[in-house]
Amino acid sequence: MSIMEYNGGSVIAMVGKNCVAIASDLRLGVQSLGIASNFQKIFPVTDRIFVGLPGLATDVTTLHEQFRYRVNMYTIKEEREIEPETFAALVSSTLYERRFGPYFIEPVIAGMQRTPSGSYKPFIAATDLIGCLNFAKDFVVAGTASDKLFGVAEGLWEEDLGPEDLFETISQTMLNAVDRDTNSGWGVVVHLLTKDKVITRTLKGRMD
Amino acid sequence: MARRYDSRTTIFSPEGRLYQIEYAMEAISHAGTVLGVLAKDGIVLAAEKKIFLLNSNVVAGVAGITADANSLVNYARQAAQRHLYLYNEDIPVELLAQRLCDLKQGYTQYGGLRPFGVSLLYAGYDPHYHFQLYHSDPSGNYSGWKATCIGANNGTAQSLLKQEYKDDITMEDAIGLVLRVMSKTMDSTTLGSEKLEFATLTLDPATKTPKAKVYRPAEVDALLEKQGLGKKDEDTEMRAT
Repeated sequence: MSIMEYNGGSVIAMVGKNCVAIASDLRLGVQSLGIASNFQKIFPVTDRIFVGLPGLATDVTTLHEQFRYRVNMYTIKEEREIEPETFAALVSSTLYERRFGPYFIEPVIAGMQRTPSGSYKPFIAATDLIGCLNFAKDFVVAGTASDKLFGVAEGLWEEDLGPEDLFETISQTMLNAVDRDTNSGWGVVVHLLTKDKVITRTLKGRMD
Repeated sequence: MARRYDSRTTIFSPEGRLYQIEYAMEAISHAGTVLGVLAKDGIVLAAEKKIFLLNSNVVAGVAGITADANSLVNYARQAAQRHLYLYNEDIPVELLAQRLCDLKQGYTQYGGLRPFGVSLLYAGYDPHYHFQLYHSDPSGNYSGWKATCIGANNGTAQSLLKQEYKDDITMEDAIGLVLRVMSKTMDSTTLGSEKLEFATLTLDPATKTPKAKVYRPAEVDALLEKQGLGKKDEDTEMRAT
């Protein structure tokens, strides 16, 4: 038994044309026993940054609270909102602080980054449980269905997908990957970020 | 006589006074004015120097040594976030004031370090006691107020407030009162946004969460205009005649 697989759950983030999407399943279980089908794993950090926290459920909550503390301090002191790249660095350092007794979470970050010209660029990143950053250009995956998510995403993803197409792509990726994993599923939620709004949708999937 | 007992913060004088604390308060009485007024639906805070956001539900104005103030404000911000982390709720206003005061009191009893030369006015909201205004000084003492003033000319301001303050004053009237009292107590003849920091704390009617607003310079000028206290443009007046 692995601690990373104890509660189950998976998250994926994908880049599109001037948009990003981040999706997760909604299952919380205790090994094979399913407990909740509404367990939130993706949290808004700012209006433009979302972080997905798959892994041990107690650490999901604790890390969310830790990030809230640190991002609040940042916002109050800097008098501006934190940028996605900076937040990714914050995630990395927070995890490495616990290098020899880590949080059992592999965070996934999705956001819209300000450019000097004033518009926004899509941004995704992921880390391992001790904070090693991965700035992918296409998609990042984490959780108990990560291998399956890699496979489907690699097949379905293409560059410059518009918001509606990106939504379809990320949804199909999640739905089909979690159906092949016993510890992920029981509902899927997808957040689509564009430069001026966020659309959140809950998908209808297999509840077994 | 006092000379012998004033260099050590941690000892009493023969008359039972702590001179370093008194000297700290003396430093503050020369510093920029800060004025706070509690209204029935919010709080108004005005300051000659900076106003700080401590947390989403508390704003503070500081009077005294700026470097000491920055250090205290940082401590307060950490304390507020620590409480949020531990209890998943915004820190109650009085508790935040107590945290700072416990820190300040420590500097009057242990360590041999000088006290913080800062007085603060805390304007905050919590669901337990709603809108509150507190004042703390270098000794680590704090008290709750309906309207108060610290810093230079605080005596004048305090008596003005005593005359004009009424319980159940509305936010609009409180803003007017604060601006009028500030213009009478500040050194300059006319108030302007470069010399004044202004903040309000109200409750969002829909979500019932506290909203802290630190006014930008343009907004401060607009408020002053509304109250008839703004800087008059001399050139325009000349052209009119």
